[in-house]
Amino acid sequence: MWSPIFNTVFLACFVLIVVQGQAYENTRCICGCPSIALLTDSTDVTLNTHNFHIANVPPNKCNCDGVIIPKLGDKIKGRENEFCPRCECKYEHRNVTIIKVVVIIVIWVISILVIYMAFLIILDPLLNKRAKGNYQEHTNEEDETAAGVGGPMSHNMSVRGNVLNRVGHQQDKWKRQVKEQRRNIYDRHTMLN
Amino acid sequence: MEKFPLKSSSIPLNAATTYQTMNKKYSNGSGLSSVTSDDSDMIDITTSTAAGDRNTTTRSQDDDDGNLQYSVGFSNMLESGDIPGIGQYDDFHTIDWQRDIARDRMRHRYIVKKKQDSIWTLLAGAHDAWSGWLCVLLVGLLTGAVAGVIDIGATWMTDLKFGICPQAFWLNKEHCCWSPSEADLDSGNCSQWKTWSEILGHSSEGAGAYIISYLFYIVWALLFAALSASLVRMFAPYACGSGIPEIKTILSGFIIRGYLGKWTLIIKCVGLILSVSAGLSLGKEGPMVHIACAIGNILSYLFPKYGRNEAKKREILSAAAAAGVSVAFGAPIGGVLFSLEEVSYYFPLKTLWRSFFCALIAAFILRSINPFGNEHSVLFFVEYNKPWIFFELIPFIALGIIGGVIATIFIKANLYWCRYRKYSKLGQYPVTEVLVVTVITAVFAYPNPYTRMNTSQLIYLLFSQCGISNSDDLCNYNRNFTDVNSIEIAAAGDGVYRAVWLLILALGFKLIMTIFTFGMKVPCGLFIPSLCLGAIVGRLVGIFVEQLAYRYQKNWIFSGECSTGDDCITPGLYAMVGAAAVLGGVTRMTVSLVVIMFELTGGVRYIVPLMAAAMASKWVGDALGRQGIYDAHIALNGYPFLDSKDEFAHTSLAADVMQPKRNETLSVITQDSMTLDDIEQLLKETEHNGYPIVVSRESQYLVGFVLRRDLNLAIANEKRMVDGICGQSLVLFTSGHTIQALGPPPLKLKRILDMAPITITDQTPMETIVDMFRKLGLRQTLVTHNGRLLGVITKKDVLRHVKQMDNEDPNSVLFN
Repeated sequence: MWSPIFNTVFLACFVLIVVQGQAYENTRCICGCPSIALLTDSTDVTLNTHNFHIANVPPNKCNCDGVIIPKLGDKIKGRENEFCPRCECKYEHRNVTIIKVVVIIVIWVISILVIYMAFLIILDPLLNKRAKGNYQEHTNEEDETAAGVGGPMSHNMSVRGNVLNRVGHQQDKWKRQVKEQRRNIYDRHTMLN
Repeated sequence: MEKFPLKSSSIPLNAATTYQTMNKKYSNGSGLSSVTSDDSDMIDITTSTAAGDRNTTTRSQDDDDGNLQYSVGFSNMLESGDIPGIGQYDDFHTIDWQRDIARDRMRHRYIVKKKQDSIWTLLAGAHDAWSGWLCVLLVGLLTGAVAGVIDIGATWMTDLKFGICPQAFWLNKEHCCWSPSEADLDSGNCSQWKTWSEILGHSSEGAGAYIISYLFYIVWALLFAALSASLVRMFAPYACGSGIPEIKTILSGFIIRGYLGKWTLIIKCVGLILSVSAGLSLGKEGPMVHIACAIGNILSYLFPKYGRNEAKKREILSAAAAAGVSVAFGAPIGGVLFSLEEVSYYFPLKTLWRSFFCALIAAFILRSINPFGNEHSVLFFVEYNKPWIFFELIPFIALGIIGGVIATIFIKANLYWCRYRKYSKLGQYPVTEVLVVTVITAVFAYPNPYTRMNTSQLIYLLFSQCGISNSDDLCNYNRNFTDVNSIEIAAAGDGVYRAVWLLILALGFKLIMTIFTFGMKVPCGLFIPSLCLGAIVGRLVGIFVEQLAYRYQKNWIFSGECSTGDDCITPGLYAMVGAAAVLGGVTRMTVSLVVIMFELTGGVRYIVPLMAAAMASKWVGDALGRQGIYDAHIALNGYPFLDSKDEFAHTSLAADVMQPKRNETLSVITQDSMTLDDIEQLLKETEHNGYPIVVSRESQYLVGFVLRRDLNLAIANEKRMVDGICGQSLVLFTSGHTIQALGPPPLKLKRILDMAPITITDQTPMETIVDMFRKLGLRQTLVTHNGRLLGVITKKDVLRHVKQMDNEDPNSVLFN
């Protein structure tokens, strides 16, 4: 019952990835340095900001010489030896594709669960009311299997019906289990308090 | 922690039995007989002691169908294929470790013997041998992947409360501003990330924008929390809570059907993402253990060796629990130790290695997914390499004491609240409760920047050192970065004092909110909130000591290390020690906690401070309140968990504990004189989960033990298979040829009979019995007097007795 849903999810993800392409970088080098004002002892307000420098350079170039000097060379001219040791450079790596796929899967799963929940709350009682005769048959079958305590017997039973019946059967069984769990936790408070 | 509770099991099992290969002749009976056999390849392990002294009756028996049963009595999986469901357990029942281990040994024997037959069986044997490793490999792979999904999903959704990245909605704020333009860098904010007020067309500054952001924050939090609570309620109620008390109970040998199922797994993952994103005071680390165990349980069904044997399955679950902690903290060794110290009950060396492997694989997978972009599996990984001075041990131990006190306050208050929820009307409104707590959390969290941010981020901020790149208020010191090589010690600026006040508020807020949050009906963990509480306390103490050192640099205490003007006190380290102290006080972990903490910091230099704090916190915690939070919740729920850490210190005897009590009768089944009607009547009238088999009612000599479930299944099976079974049919638990002259055919049920039940005498002290239950993993033991059967003691009788002795309500043990 899940496989078609998951297929669509993956297909959708795949389409999105192909369409969107790669717009964001996967690596960066981020350097934090004290503001230049400290160094030059000037009171120039424009220089008195906290400085982050981000560049896209190979890992071995991720240091003051590779990132800061090309950018601020003229401002700190001659004082590189004082300035550079106070900079902290960090090379960071990420994978945008994985993030994208994961977030889209999460959104899909949540939406499917919400839709299914809405279905169970709104539509299912209506459908069940109509198919009451059918439902009676189900419960009988259930009792029988319950007496036989699961296992292959219930298999034999369910193989007989067509696929739809089987899905419905499984769903009923599952619903009963959840109802039991709910009773344990929310009504009787015997577990997970 | 008992390491080998089952190790000695082979001795009592083998001693009284003759233990043979499959399909061979065997001997049985009183267990003191030898075998006459013409089979050449038969392995004889006859009981040596006393066999010669006695007048041994040598019996050689042929079974009619040629498929012999063992005197151990458990029908082996392969031959019990005709009775479906044997060897399984009902919901809320205790498993019998002895029986399951014996079943596995039979299965293993069968495979070893069959190995020579053909290539195929050889391959089957090889597959059987490596299936344990394969299973934990798969568990590790999947756990790592799931943890990656949860980490990425939760960070993205947390930032959704503040704004969105319109060009790429799947990126969170940090990743959205991964490579900002030069203009953005100068202004200090990032133009790609839009807050909700910007999306609605307002500016990003000002009172209007603040109110809009505030409202959006509350609305998103409510939405996420409502979704989480209703998904849990609708699809998998078992997904709520942290799961560790239940995992502990399950690993100690208890069945909770569906607790580790597919739906629980899905809903726990999704609900966890949602409830973490809602900004509630909870973490995703504890539930990772539950998630990993659910994965372990589902995957173990791929391997019948583990899927169909509850005792063997617990080996996989122990490994999975280690993988869970491994991915939660990026601490593989800490995970293994956590599994050993905290959750597992039965932990042989084989399981230790498998846990190690499983944790390794899981950590590797998560690390290669790299969910936080920092090359580590946790957001709050910090790297420290600063020395600490000897004097600092005093504040560290003080932190341990504070941590123990905070933990005790938390445990007592949380338990009080949970008990109130259990017995009052509050428990009837689980979703409403979640919504109310969410609204309160969101309303009070937003104004304070330290509570507004994600708890993991706050922990990271508190752990980290004040470097150049750290521009938070916490690092607003009056220092000028003139000295190149080190950061000098400096007076705290206004920012630090502001931060201190905000942190004190945050501490109180987090403590109160966590008390009300833990135990709500959403997936919620406890590690992160307690780490956070401890980190706040630690940072505050750290700042205090740092300023002390700055003021009194000339004092003899500080003069050695601090006189040079270096920053000799690191408040971040105090935060770490404080975090360890509170977490240690709450969970009463020691070894695994210290290992987890030093794996988090990537250095072994701080082991002594962490150990000191963890130990102090445990002592204070134990002195103020006996139980850790998980044990307290186990007791609150009444799970049948026989803690191997507690000691039994009373002088009662088996006769005081056993069932039936005086003037009640013991329900027994005779081995060859009861009819089917009698048995069915007995099953209807009594609710015992097992019945002793005796030679006759008059003599009460014990033959064996049969489980109610097996009896039901076997009777149903015989009725189906054998024609002519009716109410008058005799039910035979003997295997000899009975002269069946008249009447309907008998039911031969010997194969479901356990011929080696553990027996004790009525004068056995309870101390011994409790030890046996713990170490052998028994489900029940039979009490004899002068060789005659007197009664039964089950695990639940023992638990009830322990409660009674501790002056607690014995009826609080549920699932009787």
